[in-house]
Amino acid sequence: MDLIGNILYDTVYHSAPIILCVIGGVFAFKANVLNIALEGMMLIGAFVSTLVGFFTGNLILACALAVLASFALGLIFSFMGVTLKGNVIVIGLAINMLAPAIAGFVMVLMSTSNITIPGLNVADLQINIPVIGQIPIVGDILSGHPILTYVAFIGIALMWALMYKTRFGTYVRVVGENEDAARSLGLKANTYKYAAILIGAVCCGLAGVNLSTERMGMFTNNMTASRGFIAIAAIYCGRGDPLTSSLYAIMFGFARALAINLAIYAGPASGLFDVIPYILMVAVLAVVSVAQRRNVKTRGFVNG
Amino acid sequence: MSKDISRRSFLGIVGGAAAVAGLAACSGDEGGDAQGGGEGTARNVAVVCSSAGRNDGGFNQRAIEAAQAVGEENGWNVQVIEPTNGIPQALETLGADGYDLVFNMEYDFEALINGTGGADPLAQQFPDTTWVVFNDNPNKNDDGSVKFPNVVSVLFNVNEGAFLAGALSVLVNENSATLFGDGYNFTAPDAGGRAMGFIGGTNSNGIVVESYGFIEGINYEAEKLGVTYDYYAKYDAGFTDSAAGATVAGTYYDQGANIVFGCAGSVGDGITSKAKEVGKLAIQVDDDKDDQQPGYVLTTVLKSTGVPVQSICEALAADDMASIDNEMNYSVATGATGITDLSVISEYIQDTDTWETIKAEIEDLTGKVGTEITVVNAQIGETFDPATCPNVNIQ
Repeated sequence: MDLIGNILYDTVYHSAPIILCVIGGVFAFKANVLNIALEGMMLIGAFVSTLVGFFTGNLILACALAVLASFALGLIFSFMGVTLKGNVIVIGLAINMLAPAIAGFVMVLMSTSNITIPGLNVADLQINIPVIGQIPIVGDILSGHPILTYVAFIGIALMWALMYKTRFGTYVRVVGENEDAARSLGLKANTYKYAAILIGAVCCGLAGVNLSTERMGMFTNNMTASRGFIAIAAIYCGRGDPLTSSLYAIMFGFARALAINLAIYAGPASGLFDVIPYILMVAVLAVVSVAQRRNVKTRGFVNG
Repeated sequence: MSKDISRRSFLGIVGGAAAVAGLAACSGDEGGDAQGGGEGTARNVAVVCSSAGRNDGGFNQRAIEAAQAVGEENGWNVQVIEPTNGIPQALETLGADGYDLVFNMEYDFEALINGTGGADPLAQQFPDTTWVVFNDNPNKNDDGSVKFPNVVSVLFNVNEGAFLAGALSVLVNENSATLFGDGYNFTAPDAGGRAMGFIGGTNSNGIVVESYGFIEGINYEAEKLGVTYDYYAKYDAGFTDSAAGATVAGTYYDQGANIVFGCAGSVGDGITSKAKEVGKLAIQVDDDKDDQQPGYVLTTVLKSTGVPVQSICEALAADDMASIDNEMNYSVATGATGITDLSVISEYIQDTDTWETIKAEIEDLTGKVGTEITVVNAQIGETFDPATCPNVNIQ
């Protein structure tokens, strides 16, 4: 029973940063801008939050500046990709390489291999909900997480509403579906693309804060470990729908948690369990793509 | 053809960097050269960093500092290289540039010893360069004889250091209730707390050697006390994903383990973070990281590259490279391995009497290990037989 509880807790743990990337990244996807810089934006968020936390000890300021840093990368990406019409793959790649380089450079200056926020015990950041926390399985899922983890899960609903229930969301989708048509209606296509990318940047910044400062109280370079790319995969699998894409993110978190928690019973063969996330992902993708074969070539507004 | 071009451009970049550094060195060392011009020739020495980088606070950094210290005394050109284009290319460039001594910190010997892509081994192509590799001895023929006389393999007897850490862990674990005060959350030994964890970055000799030493250390003390320990181990946690390392450590702590030994770069940093979160202990590796999460890092199994790098550089300065064997083993007695002086964790200890007894026992073991007590050394091909450790259940 304890094992199931641990698996579920770790599922939430590993899903949260990916979900944050996903719910932000879906807007750029819907606006037809391929944002592969999620990884770099998340890393800069992780880095800046821990750095600011290290120097000031003020976690709110750390979070704010992390989002700002990620926002700045988003602005660079938008300016080069949307205004200057550069190749978004190249720009995204550049940002993904820039972020660890900046972090590495600053850490060389500080002559340290990681940044630990002194005096912060991450156990203090976890919110233990009084009664619910005591219920076996439910408590593991709902209680004992830091605030941004809750934000991530609540954010799924908010972003879904923003995308499907507001004029803004409709315009973003129209711009992505047919930019010329949108322009002919007088929509400022570039503005919506900018907004879509920047929403993603802000969310990635929060994902970074969640991963580093909130969960570990420390930063090590490249700690995002390709979670941004997994988020991109989740967005593609879910075709840009915040809800479906998040489900893929949760599935990946679940597979990760399963791998880690089952490994303890496997001894030296535990390495085998590390393939669970990938096998599960491939299997689900295969099933889904067979089921949706008809729609594969026409993603977008119609197929939601 | 394309390989030629890329090699040339790489040469150009490294050459350019070397030229700039060389110019800087000239302007700075003018006086020194003039004075010491009579004795010792100016040597070219290079340290090729592993992927952890030059400021890793340990493995690379200590080697660089040692090489630079000796280099400065003798007015040498000491290059630090963080390869962007792969280790083999970097080594080849250095060999072609006629470097006298090259330290290869990365666990990558293929091009050097066996040659890749049909090329001759670099050690054979550049016989005037002395190549130093760490953590393994790849420089052997099938019959065990030395393959290339100009390759030096440096091995640390970390099995002995890890043994001490294992013994210390058991002693601390058995007394955790009295040793530590508030803020800790140990599982009592008789309530499932007789368990230890080990997390390694990759399943290589350099990693499992630490685990085996750790197991034997646990077994040594457990046998004395007549108790049995569970042992959880993972050998493929990688070196970068610190969050994953933290959750793996979390599962061990959750199983009752009070101490987890992390041997996995940044992943190890995640383990100490988790130790603090749950109020238990972690053991670090390589460079003294006891103050990373003060009070939650029990000790560090040291591997100081500074000691061998310094002695090899000094041999070069004295023109006495013949004194350097092709395989050099650094034991606890040399100071290149062992555990820390425990000064950081000592400040969190309540029961100083018990603590002094424990420290005395470890002191005693430090003198015995390697001589009276032999510990399996997986690095030099020894195999570990779990049957020799009846008081540890490897899960």
